[in-house]
Amino acid sequence: MHSTLPRNTLLAAALSLPLLSAQAEAQPENGTLSLKYLDYQDSQPGARRVRVTAPELSLMTPVGSAWSLSASHIVDSITGASPAYHTEALVPLHDQRRATDLSVTHYSELSTATIGASYSAESDYVSRGLNLAATLSTEDKNTSWNLGVNLLHDSINPGNQVVIDEHKNVVDLSLGLTQVLSSRDLAQVLLGYSHGKGYFTDPYKIFDQRPRTRNHSTLLLRWNHHIEASGGTSRLAYRYYQDSFAIRAHTLTAEYVQPLPQGWSLTPQLRLYSQSAASFYVEHDLNSDPFPTNPPDGASFYTEEQRLAAYGARTMGITLSKRWGAWSADLRAQHYEQRNQWRWGGSGSRNLAPFRARIVQLALTRQF
Amino acid sequence: MKRFCKLACALGAALLLNACASITPVQPWQKGLLAKPEMSFAGDAIGSGFNEHIYSSREAASGGSGANGGGCGCY
Repeated sequence: MHSTLPRNTLLAAALSLPLLSAQAEAQPENGTLSLKYLDYQDSQPGARRVRVTAPELSLMTPVGSAWSLSASHIVDSITGASPAYHTEALVPLHDQRRATDLSVTHYSELSTATIGASYSAESDYVSRGLNLAATLSTEDKNTSWNLGVNLLHDSINPGNQVVIDEHKNVVDLSLGLTQVLSSRDLAQVLLGYSHGKGYFTDPYKIFDQRPRTRNHSTLLLRWNHHIEASGGTSRLAYRYYQDSFAIRAHTLTAEYVQPLPQGWSLTPQLRLYSQSAASFYVEHDLNSDPFPTNPPDGASFYTEEQRLAAYGARTMGITLSKRWGAWSADLRAQHYEQRNQWRWGGSGSRNLAPFRARIVQLALTRQF
Repeated sequence: MKRFCKLACALGAALLLNACASITPVQPWQKGLLAKPEMSFAGDAIGSGFNEHIYSSREAASGGSGANGGGCGCY
């Protein structure tokens, strides 16, 4: 088996759980059962890289008069090829990841409390997580504070046995404030801090040696605005990210939801992203081709992974939704592209092939 | 890190002060539009889960939207 990278990333399935809602909310009146499907294919000029298909089943149901239960299960099937360094030497990979998440929420008049657990397994990587979250609203419910803690314990056993029984532990903290600004405006500030210790190196990459600590901080600002003239809603977000690898990243997201007659709605989306390179990223020197570029003499840490290079990225997408009775269906199509010259406020990393992806997602939901 | 904290604190304080001092409180009967699903930060039924997974697998930055589960995200 070959997987590209044990990463300091967050599990997608758990992200979809309502662990940290925007507002302290009331217990849901209805349950929902949702079947989702992802089809992802990325590529670089002349080569297809990774394809992922991922069905997900999720359930949320009220329990008693003050509780709800959420659960989801996802299976990622991953095939294709991934570069061994920079955007060169594509190595075939094949893997399957199964992840399950479970959470329970208690609702009081002005607060909620959630506890959740996550488990994700593939042949070389097992992750176990515990989530705690709470929200507290003011009496008029115009202001809401939220707090979240996420603990992760990952075990890493790569198929090439470069390392055996490695571990990574991560603690994520978040603090947020959501404010009703007017009868048509809702804003949110979220601060996040993550402390990670353990194995962050990619065992499948050539010339990859990373620090055993990675901390990152995030600031997320969101603003949703209802536009009276069109009946639509604009959804704007900005995220600032910085980490102990010296990476700084900016993300701008804009969506516009336009309701249409007979339960239809259309949502165009634009996302702009830019990041600087990790302090130990090694630029691609064409003089070394067809071999990988040697790291600097005496360097303790080095990487030639594209993901830690300097570049910018753009996503354009559109979502078509339909509601009828207790049913709803959502279809989203997106095009994603990375280029070094799209980095903001500086030059991008040299000699990397442009990277593209097409993403199709489908959700079918039934209320009960 | 210090710079980030200062920035974050300033922004947080600004929003809080704004919220507490200068905004006219919205009454419950004025919140009909705010209750629409598209006004929620949770988004639509597809949610942000798949996208977050893809971005965190292809970009260095991740997180920011709250407490989450964990895992590899290996693609």
